[in-house]
Amino acid sequence: MTAISSKLSTGKNDLSLLFKKLWAPFSLTPMLSWLCGALIAVLLEQTVGLYVAWTLGLPKIPVLFGVLIMLETPILFPSAVLYVLIIYILPVALIAWLTTSLANNLAGRLLDLQSWLAVLVHLALFYAVLHLWAEINDYRVLVVRLTLISIILTLSLNVVNGYMGEFSCSHPGFMALGAYGASVFTLALFTDDRTFGAPLLPAQLGVLMFPLSLIFGGVLAALGALIIAIPSFRTRGDYLAIISLAFMFIVKSLIENLDFVGGPRGLGGQPDWANLPTVFAWTAICIWITNNFVRSTLGKALNAVRDDETAADAMTVNTRQTKMVAFLFAAFWAGVAGGLFAHVLRYVNPGSFGLQKLAEILAMLYFGGLNSVVGSIVGAVSFNLVSEALRPLEIMKWIIIPVIFILVMIFRPTGLIAFTEFNVVNWIRPKNRIAE
Amino acid sequence: MKKVTISFIVMLLLTVGLAACGAAAPSGATDTIKIGINAPLTGDIPKVGEGTKYAAEMWLEDIKAAGGLDVGGKKYNVELVIEDNEAKAESATAVTTKLISQDEVLVMVGPQSSKQAVPAGEVANNLKTLMVSPWSTNPNTTLGRPYVFRTPFLDPFQGPVLVNFATKEFGATKAAVLYDVASDYPKGLAEFFKSAWEKLHGEGSVVAFESFTTNDTDFSAQLTKIKDSGAEVLFAPQYYNEVALIVQQARELGYEGPILGSDSWGSAELMNLCGDACKGLFFSTHYAAAGATGATKAFIDRYNEKYGYVPDDVGALTWDTMLLVQKAIQDCGKITGDIAVDRQCVRDAMANIKDFEGITGSMTFTEEGDPIKCAVIVKISDAGEFEFYKQVCPE
Amino acid sequence: MAFFLQNVVNALQAGSFYALIALGYSMVYGVLLLFNFAHGDIFMVGAYVGFFVTTGALLLVSTLGLVALPGWVVLVLVILVAMLITAFVGVAVERIGYRPLRQAPRASAAITGLMIGIILETGNLALLGATRLSFPELIQTTTYTVGGVTLTNKRIMIVGVALLLMFALHQFVQRTKWGMAMRAMAYDFGVVPLMGVPLNSIAALTFALGSGLAAAAGILFSVAYPVLNPYMGITVGWKAFVAAIIGGRGSILGAALAGFLLGFIEIFVAVIFASTYRDLIAFSIILLILIFRPHGFFGEAHTSRLRL
Repeated sequence: MTAISSKLSTGKNDLSLLFKKLWAPFSLTPMLSWLCGALIAVLLEQTVGLYVAWTLGLPKIPVLFGVLIMLETPILFPSAVLYVLIIYILPVALIAWLTTSLANNLAGRLLDLQSWLAVLVHLALFYAVLHLWAEINDYRVLVVRLTLISIILTLSLNVVNGYMGEFSCSHPGFMALGAYGASVFTLALFTDDRTFGAPLLPAQLGVLMFPLSLIFGGVLAALGALIIAIPSFRTRGDYLAIISLAFMFIVKSLIENLDFVGGPRGLGGQPDWANLPTVFAWTAICIWITNNFVRSTLGKALNAVRDDETAADAMTVNTRQTKMVAFLFAAFWAGVAGGLFAHVLRYVNPGSFGLQKLAEILAMLYFGGLNSVVGSIVGAVSFNLVSEALRPLEIMKWIIIPVIFILVMIFRPTGLIAFTEFNVVNWIRPKNRIAE
Repeated sequence: MKKVTISFIVMLLLTVGLAACGAAAPSGATDTIKIGINAPLTGDIPKVGEGTKYAAEMWLEDIKAAGGLDVGGKKYNVELVIEDNEAKAESATAVTTKLISQDEVLVMVGPQSSKQAVPAGEVANNLKTLMVSPWSTNPNTTLGRPYVFRTPFLDPFQGPVLVNFATKEFGATKAAVLYDVASDYPKGLAEFFKSAWEKLHGEGSVVAFESFTTNDTDFSAQLTKIKDSGAEVLFAPQYYNEVALIVQQARELGYEGPILGSDSWGSAELMNLCGDACKGLFFSTHYAAAGATGATKAFIDRYNEKYGYVPDDVGALTWDTMLLVQKAIQDCGKITGDIAVDRQCVRDAMANIKDFEGITGSMTFTEEGDPIKCAVIVKISDAGEFEFYKQVCPE
Repeated sequence: MAFFLQNVVNALQAGSFYALIALGYSMVYGVLLLFNFAHGDIFMVGAYVGFFVTTGALLLVSTLGLVALPGWVVLVLVILVAMLITAFVGVAVERIGYRPLRQAPRASAAITGLMIGIILETGNLALLGATRLSFPELIQTTTYTVGGVTLTNKRIMIVGVALLLMFALHQFVQRTKWGMAMRAMAYDFGVVPLMGVPLNSIAALTFALGSGLAAAAGILFSVAYPVLNPYMGITVGWKAFVAAIIGGRGSILGAALAGFLLGFIEIFVAVIFASTYRDLIAFSIILLILIFRPHGFFGEAHTSRLRL
């Protein structure tokens, strides 16, 4: 036993040593440098990516970092790796390394000026990278949009299942309420469609009112959540799991029976308003608000309730109210995600919001890690990317993904990145300063 | 450290420079025609995906045997890009986008069920690529979308056909319907049947309009109600796996009247699952497998030999779709290599197809991209075969 | 009256399956405080194992030219063999998916269960293809009509076997040493292992018993509804999960009653109201039950829950 473990640990040491060696030149590199590097890399891909791909014998620019190509035609494996190296890894590493001291300086000044300004600059840079990267291909745009929506969903479920420590199964239901609420709002008010007839308001106004329609969807979901919250937070125990599951079935059955929204035929024709910038903005806002929420007094109270409700009660935490607020908050964001989802697909169907969706959201959440904003982001992004990248495997995909998940859960039972606080300033601070 | 940096930069510049000067589009790309298949290989309805995949692969075999697809006197290689949409709406949209923008397919066949075909049609239409769904019956799939076509007939046609048949054949005046409320094909058909029946026999002549939810296996409550309602004929527009259970349970509960079905019954699996209980029943479909002649028979025999079972309606419809697509490409006459031009050309050729003789019937397309075709009423014989009984064509 | 009684008979059959599956959920939940989300798929595995054992047995009989046993004897043997095999599957699931996570948050284990379920479904699809299987008919259906109520020998057999199995389980848990260990574990998960009760063995036993019952349910289900597909366990499984919780934590009687109750609710909602609204009304009733009896029928008010 000891022999094995010592062997394991030396193996680990070798690897971490190598990693450390590679990392050494970048130990002082701030986020700003990385973003600049990424920006250069995507610009490079835009200008010469296609030619590089052709030289390497690839038919097109590899759409998801070459993984699809590797799985579809294994013979192109080296080419795909080379492409990723030339277009992404080398330029990013090079630029990041070159600009380290400059960027540290700049980031420091920005941060001293106004921290929100620094955050905005970073966010804008990040969006530029994302936008340029996605622009190459419609498929990338769609994958990015769906991934961002998954982030909102996972994050909002994390508030209930992670920060509050309950086990809720109703997220597909909230999502459905949001999706239908927002769809009905835009279709009835702003578009000339078959279901609701002529628009009540000028269509030009619609784009500006789109946030309102999403909020309408979110509020609808939160109202639905109230139905669950009132009975289930009177007592403690696992009953929320069942009540919320029942709620999910009820919502699905209700929509199937509402003929004015199409019943099982679904509701289509939503205008194409949920484009990449819109979805990105909503995701950024959601992350920001949720992060502030869980770090607020209320968020701390929520953690106290999770760890010991009786003790929290004794410490003057109004446990029932705390749980209600958090649950409605989560439902609201699930509703917003549903509204975005409906406007990305431009069609909704009650069948999309069933047990399969539930399994997906739960998987993303627990894979990423509980009680952690970063964990939810990592979980949603990795789940979406992996499930798109493994598409060529067809049936085997749904054996490999669960196996990966089980292994992750066995070796990291709380998920990849659990129980961490997300402090933006720490992320973007110049690395020649000490963390706050 | 400096050395490393310099070699870094040199290497980078070298490759990028080399690439920028020397690279040209890989030749041979214009010799290949890519056709995307968007099918549910996993998820709720894997059998549908399997039938789609098999029929498409059989078609490809033919093309390969002929040395390629002959377009305007030139032989082109054909490549099928088969993708799994997991029977999910968002996945079908992602697959459609991937097929069109990444794999650059000329035409996309599928998705099959309306839940996926409606959102996928939106994408295909926006990206100006011909999409043909072999199975989706929801009007919204093709409505207002010039680039989207389909090959099955629609519910508003099939419903009245069955109503007239049941009235004449059984002399029935009171009907019952049992359908899946959560699935759009059965629900649509059930509603058209009901309205047509009530138009013919008066308000309230559908004495029981009962439903269940997808994946249910116990229909005893609904069937007890139906038996109690005194219905003379039971209409079950369900998929064959559910039909087997419905028919068996109806008989066990003592319902003796005829049970009538729709084209979704048309699978060889029906008889494996249902056994003797289904013998003697009628359903409407695209073609009769037993006693089929010509191309239909050839297709069925070949499919049966290759995959070991008589093809479902999905297989036959996909086969027709592949041939339609082939005809559209050939009618277009030339492949320029500019994918946008070619897609437009193929789409226009598709819209102009007249009286296409498919194995599921003769097809001409309406402005909406829906086929005008005849329905066949099939009787399940005592040997368990689907025998031709009657043909009904739209007026 | 006949109409009403007929539906009672219908509900008894539908309830038997929910009850048998709910027992497996309830035991695991009671003893280990886990949601075993793979249980519905173990039910599916049981049905498939039953299918292969039956076809194998029938093939053996016909090739060796043995004297064919009566159908019901074969069925009993098949149920026993399939229960045994599926029990091993259940133990394997516990070993792979749950034991490594014994110290982890309970919800993490629930997710591994969910993932194992997906592997079982997709693995089945990949191995056996998309063609649905038809369960061989071992017993000829005989129909009896008593006062306008239609009964078949299969229905009587299904309800009978289900009740028998529940009784056997009850006896096992109440009368044997192992059963006592399980009850003790359910009483206090933390302290009992310290008193020398082997935790891992009890956990394995719990899974074996639950999976065995699920296999029996799977075979009875296939006798009643002889169409097998890889996804057959999902909906039934989740509904049985609901029944298990309504029954109250770890209560065998409660889970069994709740299973039958769920069958009655589903059937009678479809009978009384428009069947279109069945799920809507049935789950609303469940919601109401939980509002008024938040700990289920036989559960005691206790404060444990899925930590984290």
